[in-house]
Amino acid sequence: MKLKNLSEKILRLIKSKGFKNIELDPVLETKYILQRSGENFKRLLFSFYDLNGKELCLRPDLTISSVLRFIQNKKIKKDKVCYSGGAFRKTYQKKDSIIKNQIGFEILGSNDKQKEDREIIETSIKLLNNSGFKRAVLKIGNVELFNLLVKKLDIPRRWKIRLKRYYWNEKYFNELLKRLETNSDIDPVFVEIDKSRFIKMRKDNQNKIIAGRTFKEILDRFDMKIKDPRRASSGKTNTKIIKEFLKVKCKLENAPERLNIFFKKHNLNIVVGKEFFPINKLNNKNLKIEFSTSLPLEAEFYSSMIFSIEVKKGLKFRNFISGGRYDQLTNSLGFKSVPAVGAAIDMNVYD
Amino acid sequence: MIKDNINIGLPSKGRLRQDTLDVFKKKRLKIYSERGERDLFGRIKKLPNIKIIFLHARECIEQLSLGNIDLGFSGYDLLKESTINTQKNISIKKKFNFGKANLVLAIPDLWLDVQTLLDLDEVADEFKKKKKRLLRVATKYPNLTRDFLYSKGVTQFQLVQSLGSTEVSPFTGTSEIISDITSTGATLKANNLRILKDGEILKSEACMMVSKLSSKKKRLKSFINLLTK
Repeated sequence: MKLKNLSEKILRLIKSKGFKNIELDPVLETKYILQRSGENFKRLLFSFYDLNGKELCLRPDLTISSVLRFIQNKKIKKDKVCYSGGAFRKTYQKKDSIIKNQIGFEILGSNDKQKEDREIIETSIKLLNNSGFKRAVLKIGNVELFNLLVKKLDIPRRWKIRLKRYYWNEKYFNELLKRLETNSDIDPVFVEIDKSRFIKMRKDNQNKIIAGRTFKEILDRFDMKIKDPRRASSGKTNTKIIKEFLKVKCKLENAPERLNIFFKKHNLNIVVGKEFFPINKLNNKNLKIEFSTSLPLEAEFYSSMIFSIEVKKGLKFRNFISGGRYDQLTNSLGFKSVPAVGAAIDMNVYD
Repeated sequence: MIKDNINIGLPSKGRLRQDTLDVFKKKRLKIYSERGERDLFGRIKKLPNIKIIFLHARECIEQLSLGNIDLGFSGYDLLKESTINTQKNISIKKKFNFGKANLVLAIPDLWLDVQTLLDLDEVADEFKKKKKRLLRVATKYPNLTRDFLYSKGVTQFQLVQSLGSTEVSPFTGTSEIISDITSTGATLKANNLRILKDGEILKSEACMMVSKLSSKKKRLKSFINLLTK
């Protein structure tokens, strides 16, 4: 009952900022989850088949349901929405609940990105001010800064793609860094053996298909790999730069200066301006605001601005609100890209 | 079933059956069937309270988890592939030096550009972006394969359940790559497949397993001691 009242109070506050309350489908087609997150996430779903053989599942999060609603209703204008309810996921931890109570709010279909990013953060701060939590930290980051850094590093293109793709997955990202630093992904012995087969295959029909890939696709990639090898020494240097970048943490207002010093030190020819930071400074004594290059993303779909608000509960800080921009989410579901920014409140913080 | 009787599940077919029977033979335990070789029930001479049931190796794991058999012989791979509810009712008492095989990830040999999982991850990404579909992996081991691929950073794939002859899947349009159990790699090679350099998912061997639901059976413990000495 207490949680229900709290939810209603929070929703009223969000609505007062012009967000329209919507109902989301509790069930969605499993294929969308598979497209977005692959097989591993699928195993956490409560899925089942309808009588026509279509695989459905209980929604594992609210954002995906909301974005699907926007696309399927063929909306083209800006849409400011909020919603609440449970998201359902299997868990291996006994203490974790299979129902995650969330409240979300987002702005879809607007190209005024900086303004909308600011609005989402300001709404989050308003919610924090009315939450009853006295001490909090707002952490802001931007995925694009990392992408800029990687673009300028002297590493093969395939490595740039890898690093950008797994920036969100801390555990695997660290494993990738280890590989970048030490061993090579090209075995010279194998390359020599395969070179003769390469020449033979090049003379054959390039449209021939082996397990879904044409000879041309296979050979072009092979060619690209051996022509663009990674040097062990540059691997070490680049890993060092990335690790140093991920340690950048400072007051938000100092972030451009701090980053520019870093980029200059490594001769990366990158200049950072205000465009990467939706807000600059806030006058709120109880809220510490910091910039960090290594915010835990926990989701692969964030594409630029990300933020989280942690509140002090007992002796520990716990996540209260997190969000960011996810313009590519619809694209990963098989639709055209739609500008989208939003945040979700983890109601379990009130447990 | 009589409460203190011991039910033992043995593999019903092939090399694993023969090697398991040899374990009993070495301990001078003579297994016999009243109705000949096709009889799926057996006894051990001079041990009337022990009943032998010949089962498929996968079935052996299931029956152990249900407590219908107390002791069973099967592959480590099959135990690790089974559901968490099944695994928590079974404990391994001994690993043997037979039934050795590896669960591996194999790709078409002509995919020259793919040597490691990092390459595979890139190709999986290409499938999603350019071909607008996920890379398919045919396997009889969906749980182990999924966990392995994800732990190595390959996330964009779809599993296709295989019931047999998994090696042909990449060439019949069922999947692009496979994961399968192999002891020498000869069958994979004969079917134009190659194991990825870092594609070993699990090392397996024959195991003696016991049902945790049978822990109160006194005679079971002494029989296990006899077999493991």
